[in-house]
Amino acid sequence: MLHSHDHHSHHYAHSPIQQAASTPLSLNVAPAIQVLCALIMVLAIGVTPNGHWITGLIYGMGIAIVLFIRPVNLTKLAQRLAVESVFVIVAVIGLLFRDGEGVLWQWGGLKITVTGLVVLGSVMGKLWLSLLVMNLLTMTMPIPVLLQSLSILKIPPLLIAILASMHRYLELLIDEFMTMRRAAIARNLVAGKRWQRLVVGNMIGSLFIRTYDRGDRIHQAMLSRGYQGVIVNQTSVRLRRRDRLALLITILFVIFGQLAFYLV
Amino acid sequence: MHHNAISIQHLSYHYPDKTQALDNISLNIHAGDRVALIGANGSGKSTFLQHLNGILLPQIGEITIGEYPMEPKFLKQIRDFVGLVFQNPDDQLFMSTVWEDISFGPLNQGIQPQELQVRCQQAMNAMGLDPGYADRNPGHLSGGEKKRVAIAGVLAMQPQVITLDEPSAQLDPRSRRQLIDLLKTLPITQLIATHDLDLALELCHRTIVLSRGQIVYDGRTEEVLYNTAFLHEHALEPPLSYSRPYCDRS
Repeated sequence: MLHSHDHHSHHYAHSPIQQAASTPLSLNVAPAIQVLCALIMVLAIGVTPNGHWITGLIYGMGIAIVLFIRPVNLTKLAQRLAVESVFVIVAVIGLLFRDGEGVLWQWGGLKITVTGLVVLGSVMGKLWLSLLVMNLLTMTMPIPVLLQSLSILKIPPLLIAILASMHRYLELLIDEFMTMRRAAIARNLVAGKRWQRLVVGNMIGSLFIRTYDRGDRIHQAMLSRGYQGVIVNQTSVRLRRRDRLALLITILFVIFGQLAFYLV
Repeated sequence: MHHNAISIQHLSYHYPDKTQALDNISLNIHAGDRVALIGANGSGKSTFLQHLNGILLPQIGEITIGEYPMEPKFLKQIRDFVGLVFQNPDDQLFMSTVWEDISFGPLNQGIQPQELQVRCQQAMNAMGLDPGYADRNPGHLSGGEKKRVAIAGVLAMQPQVITLDEPSAQLDPRSRRQLIDLLKTLPITQLIATHDLDLALELCHRTIVLSRGQIVYDGRTEEVLYNTAFLHEHALEPPLSYSRPYCDRS
C-alpha cells in the first residue's frame, strides 16, 4: 500500500527536495547545499598542484569522515569505482610516458620518468578523490533531488533536462536491449561467439535507431504539453543557519588542505 | 467552453517520402462530443491527432481550434486548448517523479505554485491516483498506472479537448475497464483514436472511420459497427460484443 501525504500543508509538499532535507542521514543540510559543497570539494581537488600529497591526504581524510557520518554500501561503492577506474586509467595512462627528469626505464623512444610517475600519481589520486565525492553524493541523494538541487544552483536547464531524460530512459533502454536479447535467445542464439558478437552489434545498432525514434516521440510529447525549450522550475531554497555553516566548513576545509602543503 | 471546438477543412498531409497520410479531411467536432476515430494500421489516425495539437502543421487545408487558426503564432494557445495523450506512455512520461511529470504542462502554462498544487491534485484524483504515487518514478509503474499518469499530465493543463491515441493499448482488462469508466466521467470534449471497437461502442455516439488517409464514414457508432461488410472492406472487424454476443454477458 502506498503511503499518503498531506497535500495541503505546503505548495511543494511532494517535492522530494523537502523530504530529503529532513532525512536524518542528510544531516538536515539542504540538498542544494550538499551538492554545492561536493562541487567545491571537487574543484579544490582539481586545482591541487601535482605532487601536493599532503593536500590529497587531508582531502582523503575529510572524505573518510563524511563516509563515516553518512555510511554507504562499501561493496557498491567499490564496484562503481572499479568500473569508473577503467575509464580513468585509459584516459591518463599516457602521462606515465611523458618527458621529465630522472629516467627510471627506457625502451627506444618510450621512457618512464620520476616526473611522469609524480604527474600520473597526482592526476590519478585527484580523479579517484573526485570520483569518491561524486559517488558519495549520488549514492546518498535520490536522483530527482539531485536534479532539483542542480536547478536551484542555476545549472543550465537544458543540461538538467538532458540528465533527467538520461536517468528516466536509461532503464528503459536496458530493458529494450534485454528484450531483444531474449528474443534472440528464444530463437536459439547459441551459435559461435563470432555470430553472437555480430548479433549483439546489430542489436546495438537497432537500439540506436530506436533511441533516435523515441527521442523524437518524447520531444513531440513535450511540445504537446507546451514545452518551449526550457524546463520551468519554481523551486527555490532559503538558506538556514546549518546550511551556511556546512558551506563555511567546506570552504575552510578546502583552504586548509591547500595551505597544509606550505605549512608542513 | 468554445461551442465549435475543432473545425477542419480539406486537410491533406504527405510524409517526406511522398506517402499520402491524410487526404482531404473535413469535419467539425463540437464541445462536449465524444468521438471515436477508427481505422486500420497506417490509416492516418496518429498523424491526424498530431495535427490537432500543432505537432504537425497542415500542408494543405485549414484547421481551427476554438477560435485559433492553426498557425505557429497560436501554438501555445492551441496546445493549452487541445491535450494529446500519446499511445505509448513511455514516450510521454520523462520526468523523474510522477508529480514532476504531471506538473510539467501546467508549469509551461505559467501556473503559479498554489494553483499548480490544486490542479495536479485534481488531475491525480480524476485518474484515481493515490497521493502516494506523487514521488514514484514513472518508469517503475505498471502499464495501466503509466497510462493514468500520462492522462493526468494532460488533464492538469485543463484542456477543452482531450485527444487519446490508442488509450486501451497495453492495458489488462481491469485497467481497461477503469480507463473506460474514467473517460465516461470526464466532462470535456474527447477524440479517441482506437482499434478497440468495443471501447468505441461503449464510449462514443459518433465514429469517424479513416482508411488510407480519407474519411470513409462519419456518423453513428452503432450503425457503422453493425456493418460487417463495410468494416471488412476497411480492414476492420465488428466489436466482439456484436460479432460474438455470447462474449457480452453483462
